[in-house]
Amino acid sequence: MTSLPPLQVPKLAKIVEIVEMTAIEKMFKLEFLDGSTLSFKPGQFVEISVMGVGEAPISICKSPTRSGPLEIIVRKVGRVTKALHAMKPGDKVGVRGPFGNGFPMEKMKGMDVLLAAGGLGMAPLNSVLQYVLDKKEEYGKVILMYGIRSYQDALFREEVFKMLESQTEPVVLLAYERDDPLLAKIAEKYPHNVRKGVITVLCKECLLPHLRADRTCAVVCGPPIMYKFVLKELVGLGIPPERIYMTLERRMECGMGKCGHCIVGGASTIRYICKDGPVFTGVDALTIRGLI
Amino acid sequence: MHKILPKENLRNFFEKLKELGEVHAPVRRGTIFAFSKIESVEQIEFSYVRTMIPPKKYFIQTCEEILRFTPDKGYSPATTETKKVVLFGVHACDINAIKILDNVFLEEPVDLFYEERRKNTFIVGISCEPDDFCFCKSVGADSVQDNYDLFLYDLGDRYLIDTGSRAGEEFLLSLNLQNPTSTDFEVLRKMLSERDLKFKKTLNAQGLAQIVDSNPSSEVWGRYAEKCLACGGCTLVCPTCRCYSIDEFRDLSLEKSTRTRRWDSCFLRSHALVAGGLNFRPTRLDRFRHRYNCKSSIEWKSGGLFCVGCGRCSAFCPAGIDHVEVLNNLVHLSVMTI
Repeated sequence: MTSLPPLQVPKLAKIVEIVEMTAIEKMFKLEFLDGSTLSFKPGQFVEISVMGVGEAPISICKSPTRSGPLEIIVRKVGRVTKALHAMKPGDKVGVRGPFGNGFPMEKMKGMDVLLAAGGLGMAPLNSVLQYVLDKKEEYGKVILMYGIRSYQDALFREEVFKMLESQTEPVVLLAYERDDPLLAKIAEKYPHNVRKGVITVLCKECLLPHLRADRTCAVVCGPPIMYKFVLKELVGLGIPPERIYMTLERRMECGMGKCGHCIVGGASTIRYICKDGPVFTGVDALTIRGLI
Repeated sequence: MHKILPKENLRNFFEKLKELGEVHAPVRRGTIFAFSKIESVEQIEFSYVRTMIPPKKYFIQTCEEILRFTPDKGYSPATTETKKVVLFGVHACDINAIKILDNVFLEEPVDLFYEERRKNTFIVGISCEPDDFCFCKSVGADSVQDNYDLFLYDLGDRYLIDTGSRAGEEFLLSLNLQNPTSTDFEVLRKMLSERDLKFKKTLNAQGLAQIVDSNPSSEVWGRYAEKCLACGGCTLVCPTCRCYSIDEFRDLSLEKSTRTRRWDSCFLRSHALVAGGLNFRPTRLDRFRHRYNCKSSIEWKSGGLFCVGCGRCSAFCPAGIDHVEVLNNLVHLSVMTI
């Protein structure tokens, strides 16, 4: 069933399943009560309402190429997300969206796709990962660079480690920040794939042998501090800034470019993250002040 | 279409306006002026310079219900008002500001509440005289091309009325007024050119967006941000500021729970704060500069600034910060330090 996307009035959805991803992150699988589905692009987000508490912008973490319920991953970090974490399967939430431009999957066709995810940034990038894997023939090589704190903090742990252990494609490169005996052991086993440190430690040694910079697009998502450093490394490795796509976080209350909270940029480069983004390129980062 | 309204016929004109809806016009409230519902033409302050709160309050209310919800049925839009309002005595700057708001709220997806109220508002503009704070002329907002129904030019003992919409024309035709003569137009031209000379404040608006953009670390920002109280008053009185914040209230009976929106201000610390405690504009300096960036940016449809030069932010700033002084100093200092 198709209907107009619920942009202004949240549509009720039932939580059909909750998956504990980490100690503070849960995946919620949602189905609209009226049986409708949402048509969206990787990188788009929805506003999730908990009745009586409020609304929060959350990325869709599933690819539109896969059927089934809408999937979002929520970190318990604020008022709304705390309330969400207290909910059970069968409970109802409101959904508005989808909002934002999403990743330019069409433009990336024929290219190698490098995903650089930091922590929770893996959630929106999972949508891209599934998408390119489902349309393998349309894209080149797929490389996933993932920065995590420790083994316990990794999202999609099973899938990621299975891909790593298969030592085929997609290539998985992992950086971990905290001392972790388990990861140290894995690093010993796969010295070309796993390193201790922040995500940028992977760029020079681990990424380089796999990278074909002239035909690579990068999609990046992570904590705000990460972008600057990853952008520098990737441009340094020869990926042009216009082919580096980053999805950014801001306070986004309306999702439609009206409430004004997510405005960034200098006077001649004003942008709304919710409407003009949340995906921006490396060129945008160089020309729009305060973007990253 | 143009008609002449002798001032002695104002009462009759006003009574006719009342047939279109509730008439709201500038009235005196202590030391300030405010758009308010009026019953008689005597209540109108024809020579007001600016109201404290701009006409935006008629389209986006200070706090309004946007959704209702119950646990079973979920969310539904709050019922919108369909009250017809005649907004009388709106100055050119404010009419231009409404146009900027239109470009935000009537852009897809159209804001249903704004659209409903906008459609039900009949705008009657009126010519004005600048005071020390007005700088509408330097931002091209001292005259109107569209976005009004009627506009009254004060020619002394009579008004020359210009129509800006079909509804305005229909209304005027129902009044049986005389057509203007060439003398009336001559008087209008003279009035307008004399008015041009009365402006005391000029904003260097040409290329302002680029200059503001290129000087994020100018000492001018810090100098004024230091004086700023971060009260957000300037954004409330600004006719083009339209940031709003959303709240949700659960009713104990669970029958009348609501989601509301209220005017917000980029000067408040929470404006760019996200869950987890990260603030994208953490300091007063960041927020001060942000507002000037926003107001000096180019409105995508009209090509003009996001500022109409009404002077409210300067006139009502409790710290005495003058918008034009800040920006002109910025331009001056950036040229001097080339």
